[in-house]
Amino acid sequence: MTAVSKHVVVIGGGVTGAATAYDLSLRGFRVTLLERGSIGAGTSGRTHGLLHSGCRYVADTEVARECYLENQTLRRIAPFLFEKNGGLFVAITEDDLAYKDFFLKKCGEAGIPVEEVEPAAALKMEPNLNPKLKAAVLVPDGTFDPLKVILSFLASAKRCGAVVKPYNEVVGFRVEGGEVRAVRVLDKVSLREYELEADFFVNATGAWANKVASLAGLHVPVKPSPGVMVALDGRIGNRVFNRLNKPGDGDIIIHQRGTSVIGTTSWIVEDPDGVSIPKEHVELMIKRGSEIAPVVSRMRVKAVYVSSRPLVGQAAQTGREVSRSFAIIDHSREGVGNMLSIIGGKFVTARLMAEKMGDAVCERLGVSVPSRTAELPLAPYWLYFS
Amino acid sequence: MKVRLIVRRWKQGWTRPRYDVFDVEADPEESVLDLIERVSLSTDRTLVFEHACHHGACGACGMLINGVERLACVTKVGEAARKGLLLVEPLRGFEVISDLAVDKSRMFSKYPAETQTLEPVAASLEKLYDCVECGVCYSACPIANTYGEYLGPSVLALAYHRALSDGVVPGSVAGSGGVWACHAAFDCSEKCPVGFKPGEKIMKLRRLLLGGRVKVS
Ligand SMILES: Cc1cc2nc3c(=O)[nH]c(=O)nc-3n(C[C@H](O)[C@H](O)[C@H](O)COP(=O)(O)OP(=O)(O)OC[C@H]3O[C@@H](n4cnc5c(N)ncnc54)[C@H](O)[C@@H]3O)c2cc1C
Ligand code: SF4
Ligand code: FES
Repeated sequence: MTAVSKHVVVIGGGVTGAATAYDLSLRGFRVTLLERGSIGAGTSGRTHGLLHSGCRYVADTEVARECYLENQTLRRIAPFLFEKNGGLFVAITEDDLAYKDFFLKKCGEAGIPVEEVEPAAALKMEPNLNPKLKAAVLVPDGTFDPLKVILSFLASAKRCGAVVKPYNEVVGFRVEGGEVRAVRVLDKVSLREYELEADFFVNATGAWANKVASLAGLHVPVKPSPGVMVALDGRIGNRVFNRLNKPGDGDIIIHQRGTSVIGTTSWIVEDPDGVSIPKEHVELMIKRGSEIAPVVSRMRVKAVYVSSRPLVGQAAQTGREVSRSFAIIDHSREGVGNMLSIIGGKFVTARLMAEKMGDAVCERLGVSVPSRTAELPLAPYWLYFS
Repeated sequence: MKVRLIVRRWKQGWTRPRYDVFDVEADPEESVLDLIERVSLSTDRTLVFEHACHHGACGACGMLINGVERLACVTKVGEAARKGLLLVEPLRGFEVISDLAVDKSRMFSKYPAETQTLEPVAASLEKLYDCVECGVCYSACPIANTYGEYLGPSVLALAYHRALSDGVVPGSVAGSGGVWACHAAFDCSEKCPVGFKPGEKIMKLRRLLLGGRVKVS
């Protein structure tokens, strides 16, 4: 069976859907991507923009290593998208300091190259850090403009013939004989509804994955988990500032273009649409952020924003586990054989998620073409517009 | 506060645009973008607008708010509303895709082929240019609005940075659609949401070219 004869519809124009459209079209499939809003309008556009070194997840060696390897892959295939300045984990309190040895040991286990630097040296590198810092560790973090990364995946997909349709919302499914035959789509550009047939369907709608799957009578165990971020009117450093401790609220400040962003919090909601921002989260971000960099308390807040992680719920253990950090949900046990959903992960691991999804689609359609997204350079984002 | 949001609507196939009115309750501190998103989720799912980062970093949400080019995500409802009215329209200088979304290929298709998007901060430090690639300067510029061949303010400002680092600019930058088309109105710099100063950079690039201090490839 050749891939060219198969049409795959990818639902969701976040980084997961974009990377999946690229992976599949590079393998030769005919791909159409549908996004209800503009590209990146869901969670992916609204992240910190942290190119994780994996160090935030060292408590789970496997997840940390996965992040680090993808960090390295992305730097290789698209160096132009990332501010590759590294990051610093800093200890401010005795409690932070007590975490250091564990942190260094776990970074070693995960194979992440880190280096402890003297507090004075850290302050020389980043003068806005808290002058009372007790320890600092340099890590291979980076930052990016999320929209431009997504557009680069899509520009690469378009180069392989993929059709990308923003402002096209999936509003229903036609399921017959144990298969999805077509999706019903509301085209907001021309105000019409149409049906799109395909051989296979990938649901990459993140925090919305269950809302979308339920249109076909299916279930995805996703737990939308919002987080609040506070953007400052100005840039206060170059290397990412992380609190040297277990991940918690307000423990990171990342810098990109002319802005620094403090993040984040975490709770669980039922519906990712219309999540409101708790005022106390904003105060907490500024308070905790000031502990890392006192200048924060004197800066104007430019914007406060929120988005929802597509966390994998407990029930996903009945799904198909491909990684500890993300899950591909097989709907055949619910009676639909040609649709898979993908949830979880990180922005930084989207390429890997797409590779695993591509493998799964190939297996289902009896096609054997390997993924090549880790080797080939990404197209620059501006080619999306040509 | 009570806000009357008026949105310019246009869909493929329509002969003329239409203005829709949404009377909504809003927090003066929230952004115009959050308000538009809420209306799209609660009242009219066919409302088309572009957005991603929601914090002034990606350039997606440029639009006219009460007649002025702004990034909707960093514009507060309370500051922008006039007597409770908020009129939102698509940027000028680009073709409208639908409602508030415009086709920015005019700007992005003029980018140089090589992937150089970072500027050095220090020896081993780099950053993306402050320009968020929003297209606001095209909408504000009287030349870009009337002369389709014009490369446009942000593309020329980026060419200026390249001229400084590489000592060379592409022929198009020195041609009739390039720096010489600019009439020095400086509306681009006035409206630029990040202070990238495209107008000033075009003037500096002219001086580099006139002084023979940068080559034309
Ligand atoms: C606060 C916060 C900060 C984060 N920071 C980082 C970070 O710094 N680095 C990192 O690596 N990761 C980060 N993450 C995680 C990362 O952002 C997400 O894991 C990732 O963006 C999820 O991408 P996605 O494509 O799966 O989902 P999404 O980006 O949400 O994409 C799903 C898309 O589906 C669309 N959709 C929904 N319904 C329909 C429909 N009916 N029809 C068509 N389309 C539809 C939505 O509009 C949306 O665009 C962060 C997450 C949060 C919440
Ligand atoms: S120069 Fe300013 S106005 Fe023009 S695209 Fe860049 S950020 Fe926007
Ligand atoms: S949404 Fe990114 S600049 Fe407004």
